[in-house]
Amino acid sequence: MDHFERQLTQLMQQDRQPAPFEARHREALRAGVRARRRVRAARRTAGSVLAVAGLGLGLFLWPHGHTGDRPTAPPRPMTSPGPTPSSTPSPSPSRSTSTPPSAPSFTPSDTAPPDPASTTSAPPATTGGPATATHEPASATATATARDHSTTPPATTPVSTPAEPSDEPSSVVSPSG
Amino acid sequence: MEQTRAGEYDAFVAARWSVLFHLARLLTGGDRHRAEDLLQESLVKLWFVWPKVADEAPEAYVRKVLARAAARSARRRWWGERPVEQLPEVVAAGDMSATVAERSRLEAALAQLTPQQRAAVVLRYYQDLPDRQVAETLGCPVGTARSHAARGVARLRRLLADVIEPVG
Repeated sequence: MDHFERQLTQLMQQDRQPAPFEARHREALRAGVRARRRVRAARRTAGSVLAVAGLGLGLFLWPHGHTGDRPTAPPRPMTSPGPTPSSTPSPSPSRSTSTPPSAPSFTPSDTAPPDPASTTSAPPATTGGPATATHEPASATATATARDHSTTPPATTPVSTPAEPSDEPSSVVSPSG
Repeated sequence: MEQTRAGEYDAFVAARWSVLFHLARLLTGGDRHRAEDLLQESLVKLWFVWPKVADEAPEAYVRKVLARAAARSARRRWWGERPVEQLPEVVAAGDMSATVAERSRLEAALAQLTPQQRAAVVLRYYQDLPDRQVAETLGCPVGTARSHAARGVARLRRLLADVIEPVG
């Protein structure tokens, strides 16, 4: 600290004027405290109102239904690319007389294990009677049901051919016709 | 509880009013009205924190509020001129004592500093605070506070060259 700074310090500290704390100062302080208290209360009230309004708006805009956050369909445990029931060609009665009814619609993967008893007991419906014709749509329906529940074997095993390629049923049909 | 708090607060304000008012006056460059407003504002703030700072350092709290408000004042409001009903007393050579003349020169010189420089100089040379405490009071880095004080003193050195005689 040099000479000027020492003189500056002395000058600042020596020229202090007496300033008593008067009654008007006290009144002004009280008024200031009251005003600031009012401002604080108003600010707190405004903050509370804003918070409640924001909360209400948020609750109002909140989705009420349960459909919004739910997936549209459960994932299917589909493992084999088999044909869907709608796309399964249901053979017409006129065609069913010459060909096995459900042979084209089954692949080796989505049919049940071949049942030797049912294969031997029920020959392919090649008689051309009306009973066979009424039986074929039922088999298609049952096949669709069985595909949804993949553990249930299809109910149409008598008319379904073994899990063989498509040339196998033709050899079965030919003796009866 | 409230009565005790008010009594302690009133006693502190009455005891330290003169010192704090002088500090406020230096911080405002000699503007008496503005110094009163600044001190009132700081003491109102002190009232709301009085239970916390009463047992520690209420004067340091007021000093910090005063200095920061004074350093900020140039950005908030322009205090350069205000209309008055009567003209203020003009300085006439010969009818004032040397002390009053020096005080007027000092306040006039302080008024020409920037608010930050003025606050740093007053805290450094009137309150005799070290640089670190000046920086803490002003809420700025130590280097910034030191720079404000150095520039302020350099300018005062030019302005008060005829009041404070150089050694030699």
